[in-house]
Amino acid sequence: MTEEQRAEDKKGSILVVGGGISGLTATLEAAEVGYEVILVEQNPYLGGRVAQLKHYFPKLCPPTCGLEINFRRIKDNPWITFYTMAEVENISGGPGNYDVTIKINPRYVNEKCTCCDDCAKACIAKIPNEFNFEMNSTKGAYLPHEMAFPMRYIISPKIIGTEDAKRCVEACKYDAIDLEMQPQTVNLKVGAIIWATGWKPYDASKIDNLGFEYRNVITNMMMERLAAPNGPTNGRVSRPSDNMSVSRIAFVQCAGSRDENHLPYCSYICCMASLKQATYVREQYPEAKIYIFYIDVRAPGQRYEKFYKKIKEDKNIFLIKGKVAEVQEDPSSRDITVVAENAVTGEKIQETVDMAVLATGMVPNTADTKLPGGVKCDPDGFVISDLAAGGMFATGCAAKPLDVTSSNQHATGVALKAIQTLVSS
Amino acid sequence: MADSYWVEPDVKFVKQLKTLGGETLKKCYQCATCSVVCPISPDEKPFPRKEMIAAQWGLKDKLVGNMDVWLCHHCNDCSTYCPRGARPGDVLNAVRAYSIQQYAWPRWLGRIVPDARFWWLLLAIPVAIFLFILGLTGHLHIPEGEIEFAEFFPTLIVDIIFVPLATFWIPLVFGIGIYRFMTDIHKNAVAEGKTKRKDLNIPDFLKSVACTIPTILGHNKFSDCTENKDRYLAHILVLFSFLGLFVVTNIFFVALYILQEPGPYPIFDPIGITTPIKLLALVSGIALLIGSLLMLSNRLKDRGENIGKGSYFDWSLILVVLGLAVTGLLSWFTRLLHLSPIAYWIYFVHLVFVFCLFAYLPFSKLAHMVYRTLAMAYSRYAEREPCE
Repeated sequence: MTEEQRAEDKKGSILVVGGGISGLTATLEAAEVGYEVILVEQNPYLGGRVAQLKHYFPKLCPPTCGLEINFRRIKDNPWITFYTMAEVENISGGPGNYDVTIKINPRYVNEKCTCCDDCAKACIAKIPNEFNFEMNSTKGAYLPHEMAFPMRYIISPKIIGTEDAKRCVEACKYDAIDLEMQPQTVNLKVGAIIWATGWKPYDASKIDNLGFEYRNVITNMMMERLAAPNGPTNGRVSRPSDNMSVSRIAFVQCAGSRDENHLPYCSYICCMASLKQATYVREQYPEAKIYIFYIDVRAPGQRYEKFYKKIKEDKNIFLIKGKVAEVQEDPSSRDITVVAENAVTGEKIQETVDMAVLATGMVPNTADTKLPGGVKCDPDGFVISDLAAGGMFATGCAAKPLDVTSSNQHATGVALKAIQTLVSS
Repeated sequence: MADSYWVEPDVKFVKQLKTLGGETLKKCYQCATCSVVCPISPDEKPFPRKEMIAAQWGLKDKLVGNMDVWLCHHCNDCSTYCPRGARPGDVLNAVRAYSIQQYAWPRWLGRIVPDARFWWLLLAIPVAIFLFILGLTGHLHIPEGEIEFAEFFPTLIVDIIFVPLATFWIPLVFGIGIYRFMTDIHKNAVAEGKTKRKDLNIPDFLKSVACTIPTILGHNKFSDCTENKDRYLAHILVLFSFLGLFVVTNIFFVALYILQEPGPYPIFDPIGITTPIKLLALVSGIALLIGSLLMLSNRLKDRGENIGKGSYFDWSLILVVLGLAVTGLLSWFTRLLHLSPIAYWIYFVHLVFVFCLFAYLPFSKLAHMVYRTLAMAYSRYAEREPCE
């Protein structure tokens, strides 16, 4: 489908910042109509938050099914250059004519890596696995995750200068490890910039009444990792405290969302995410009781509504209108008790469960990191696109909380806005 | 609860609640966080989530005459955790202010006491009465010589005014209010299934009152609060200083009329009993001053961000109590310092404050001492909470 021909009216290139689902889509949509695109990603892999999921909703297929084809398209497309472990340092100029400085951090592993795992075996030091929200650890030399793209190991800066790093070099049969690698700077001239800087989960420890300090209270993104086959438990949903199986589980909706003390906005995906995660539990534990406490179930659109209705038919899934506002732990059994008022019956409910999942919302990565180039953010940290001025556009969860489908639609539209900037300048 | 009923929103009621300090009530989106974080709300039919939707819909019948509104002690734990800034604690405070007006008799007085436009009238009434009586009895002048308040404002006149206020007016007005209130909260509790007891048995209810008193005196509910713990000290000081002053007043009433011992009584009286009583008066007066100053400072802290901004209804009571404490202590000190005529003027103002406190008690925020006590007792009677 890719015509390896440059667009005739090409006058410049597009910088896409962020290689999650929105950034990938924007990159591909622009490149596949013949525009040069430079994609910059901070992580050592592409795919962003989607790569951490077990399933997409509502189709319940694994994220690789969308990501793999995108990676294939990137590999095939001559107009795309991408950098991982890279960040934008500086931007000057204006629409149609930006000078951009990109800093590429050292990976210490070059393209000769075959992912043989010998370096990891040789390395003794362990570091927290950030991809799994630190629920387990990796070696100091590691592959970010099994489906990582680019498929290449990385040496953690934490072991640089230690004996471990030397052991890794000695173990590598392919001469793929270069401990002398230095940060690189790349200067680019681009006509348009797309901010696809994405999101991170809200810090659940800031919600002082929902018990995130207890072992068996986790966030929804941690649940994705627990359920994912390449996660810390190889896909088995179990209690973090003792790895026991789960017979009762509670989902706490709007954990820190729609709350002026935390995130004032609705993060759009959490209701669907919990309904989806109920299917993870159901699949593994057919008898488990699942309690979902909500303010309102927001399943927008016909397809999501259908999914919600299907979940509601499950006799072992209990949807309770009432926000959990108190969480206790039994110190001996480590069981969790969630307390809510059922607003329909007007009774206070105390449900004791094996574990609880906090449906925490999305915080734009731009909430606490200022973007270069005079980019403006709204009070919640989402990037504001100045459509009249053109040149720079935000997409995906950098612009607002979105699901994957809407992110793709949004990114496609923004790719066109970027092309329009190139054409008109 | 019936499956369906005819909802008749009272928009005027909603507007009134907003003027009484509940202006945030429309922000509530019924997440029910409040009912869970409230440290004193019961497990069955907890408050204040259900009260919030009733307030939004203007369902007056579900709020006025609802005991739960009075079980709330305005800790504002709910308002702190409220995700919308709907401040349920302040809304319930507004409902209580509204309820006091509803149960007051005569109604017109119930309407003007909480109305900020009439503050001058409420002060002018005692001033006019005092001046009229003093004029009539030929006391409209500052006496010569050693300061003796009875020379200026004879004790008999004071008592002719205040004894009927205390023994006739207040019981009459409260009697009517209490009757209406008890009828309503019982009806509401039965209708909403908060109690299984269909009857209102007076001796049993009085037993519940008796078992409520220790909770009130110990301020147990206040100490359950997480937010605004400072209110515990302020309130306990004010309550106990009033009790102390009540005791002192009664003792001197007996001293005057039964023992025929008119004041002023000496502070240091090695052989008599006046020293401890005088000391009690002094300690109570100072406690009242500190308590009311604490209330004031709690309210002013963070511009009421935590405790609630309050309305005129809340502020006027604090100011009257503070005025009472300040003028009471000052009239004593100025008398001992022989500061005539200032002492007399201050004493006059002090009596004006006393009059305001007594005469407007059933219509002011102070009425909560009756309604909350009854609601707390009823809650025990209804077995909504146990006797401690």
